[in-house]
Amino acid sequence: MKRILCLIGKFLIVVFLFTGCTHDMSRKEIDEINLIRVLAIDYDQNGYTLSALFNAAGGADPEAGEATEEITKGVGKTPYEAYEDLKAKATKSISLGHTGYFLIGDAAAENGIDVCLDFLSRDETIKMDALFYITKDSKAADFMEKGIKNKQKINEDLEAIRQKQEDLVTRNDNSLVNLLNEMKQTYSSVLIPYLVPEESSFLTPGYAVFDKLKLRDYLDEDTSTGINFIKDIIRNYPIYVENQVGLMVSHSKTNLDSKVNDNRIIITIKVDFESMVKEVNTPEYIFTSKRMNDLVNKQNQYLYEVINMAVNYSKATGQDVFQIARMIEKQNMKKWQELKENWAEMISSIEYKYIFNSKISKSFILG
Amino acid sequence: MDKTISSANLKALFNKSGDIVQRPLNVAHSGIIVHLFGVDGLMNTMMLDETILQPLSENENLKNIKSEKELMQFLLEGGAYHAFASEVTDYDLLLRYILSGMAALVFDQEQKALIFDVRTFDKRSISEPTDEGVMKGAKDSFNEVLRTNTVLIRRRIRSEYLVIEQLNAGKLSKTDIALVYLSNVADMDTVNRIRDTINNLDIDNISTPAFIEEYLMDNNKSIFPQIMYTQRPDRISANLSDGRVAVVVDGIPFVYILPCQLPMLMQSPEDYANHYFIGSSLRVIRYIAMILTTFLPAFYIASTTFQNQMLPTEIALSIQQAKQNVPFSSASEVLGLLIAFEILIEAGLRLPKTVGTAMSILGGLVVGQSAVEAKIVSPTVVVIVALAGIAGFILPNQDLSSGIRVTRFIMAILAAIAGFFGMTAGLILLITHLCSLDNYGVAYMSPFVDVETSNHKDTLFRFPIKYFTKRSKKIAPENRVKQK
Repeated sequence: MKRILCLIGKFLIVVFLFTGCTHDMSRKEIDEINLIRVLAIDYDQNGYTLSALFNAAGGADPEAGEATEEITKGVGKTPYEAYEDLKAKATKSISLGHTGYFLIGDAAAENGIDVCLDFLSRDETIKMDALFYITKDSKAADFMEKGIKNKQKINEDLEAIRQKQEDLVTRNDNSLVNLLNEMKQTYSSVLIPYLVPEESSFLTPGYAVFDKLKLRDYLDEDTSTGINFIKDIIRNYPIYVENQVGLMVSHSKTNLDSKVNDNRIIITIKVDFESMVKEVNTPEYIFTSKRMNDLVNKQNQYLYEVINMAVNYSKATGQDVFQIARMIEKQNMKKWQELKENWAEMISSIEYKYIFNSKISKSFILG
Repeated sequence: MDKTISSANLKALFNKSGDIVQRPLNVAHSGIIVHLFGVDGLMNTMMLDETILQPLSENENLKNIKSEKELMQFLLEGGAYHAFASEVTDYDLLLRYILSGMAALVFDQEQKALIFDVRTFDKRSISEPTDEGVMKGAKDSFNEVLRTNTVLIRRRIRSEYLVIEQLNAGKLSKTDIALVYLSNVADMDTVNRIRDTINNLDIDNISTPAFIEEYLMDNNKSIFPQIMYTQRPDRISANLSDGRVAVVVDGIPFVYILPCQLPMLMQSPEDYANHYFIGSSLRVIRYIAMILTTFLPAFYIASTTFQNQMLPTEIALSIQQAKQNVPFSSASEVLGLLIAFEILIEAGLRLPKTVGTAMSILGGLVVGQSAVEAKIVSPTVVVIVALAGIAGFILPNQDLSSGIRVTRFIMAILAAIAGFFGMTAGLILLITHLCSLDNYGVAYMSPFVDVETSNHKDTLFRFPIKYFTKRSKKIAPENRVKQK
């Protein structure tokens, strides 16, 4: 009896595991699949266009020669229709399982990122850490095609962008999983970095701001830096306080505190940061107490300016780019219930206070 | 059949056997005739001549001997210059002694015999262990002679509590078996169970290890070994000190240890010869190798045929490129190469050593390289199968290695059917099976499944020896303290 029960138990486990599997268990040999490396999503009056970038040849086989990149396009009224069209037009089965980057064209972003992300979030194979970028003032497909004409390796260049991003900030907030989470926070703005072409590479000067999931503005580099400081995601950041002295922020910690009194919201931004001297091009000895204090004041002033730019943008446009709503909800849950009804109007009236504690450490000089 | 001890009965029994020595001896001065029986080749004839025959023909004291009874008494009390002499009255016992190589003097009137242990036979000298060699440690190993093996154990444990029980099994072979344990440590229930199992063996012959192993295992349907064997006396002595029981079988050049658990099979003598940190590191590598050898081919099949998104993109692209123009599916490639690998191993074992090396080069390098160049298999699969194969040889126990090899095939087939779902189902069934095994009252997965933390000090990691303070409660319930 015990054995029979044990066998039934094992059988049930196996049945439970296989529930929901297709009849062939989605069998597909890896060489029969085209792995999409970058997917561009564009929108115009005819609907959506999905442009998939594949690696055509090369890789491990030296006989196959150097890897080249090919683009296949699919069109449809919705992104999903366009994806199905893309599947039909592709020479092999296609998979989003290895797509590391999604480029969203200017017009598609204006039409709403929720439309673009919905069908992607329903693909069980998709990489949740795939990164999203907006192509500023351009269609994403044109952006890729120009790059290929320019003999760029789109995937490698985007990989370089990701690495540079990781050098400067502690986390990539433009990953699919993060964007899906942020989309649920209806009171705050979604921020996605935008790309601009630069000779034979790409640059990410700053963030594209989304209002109700539709593209609203492109922020400049300083304003975007201010946001990064407030979001406490700065890993390294260069500061040029004087022509002769270059500093690098090597540690930064930001604490936000909210106080709500009679619908008056006060946000205290406290930034503790430390920088290292990276360049001194003056015969003057700068490591004196007076000069160092002077430099500390200047870097505090610099930080005040970039943060203030971000704050001013938020107040001027009524966009919650710092996700203050989420913070107040956590810190003052009861008050938040009263505030959330008129949150859009209240953003502009938030008062900000700044506390900066910084220091400069001396770097080592070899020789 | 007449079971009276007499020369006539013995002559009739051994009439057709050319190797049985049958010789009447006229005892000097007394006129008594006794009959000598023994097996030619198993007796040391020089010892027989000097210690028995010479005294029987030259001793002046024999003048006073008037009867067979007095002669027997005389020989037992020093007339024969031999340390091991005894009187036998049982016919079957006498036969067993004669056939095991002892010399028997049969006294027809008394219907008794005297037995002299003059056994000798060609035997292998004590050599280095072939399968369990260590850089730092003892170099002796067991051979095919039971007594040599028990001596090697006794030399290491000079305790009065070391018991070497002599048993016998095999209706025809009458193989000597020794049950070895420390009476003050071992669980006597386990000892009694093993003794009963051996005494109740109803087989004709113990010609190969499997003839006894399968009877000693609690669950012989499992492909995982539940009995540990070793060539090394130092391992046996360590396990006896832990409370386990050793079974020495004459003719088998290793000794069995019971009860056996999976972690024991992952231990190597080298672990205890090195610093505990190095020993632990080696052991961790062995566990990693076990996981690799079991699951790597299955993982490859599952990830290249079903869930390719489980692979890092660069590796997926590399595999994709390597598989271009290969006509077979990943599953066929892997299973085919795994079978080819097993064929190569078998061929290597059967062939002489010199040819075996050439065979390995031909099979491994030439055929492998050619198969890749001819696009019959992809280079990635060759790497995967070779890695899995090599990882399998890291396991210290060959029986475990064989069990894992079979499991590797099962996992690969499950992965070929249902990808990672199949692998997961296989893994669940494997863990369920391993956890359901019980060995003389001790769980096979013990101490991994034990709540008692003191048992965990010699499993995945080898703690310093000073922490081995207690024996396992299940194995040595009465005497748990090893050191204070």
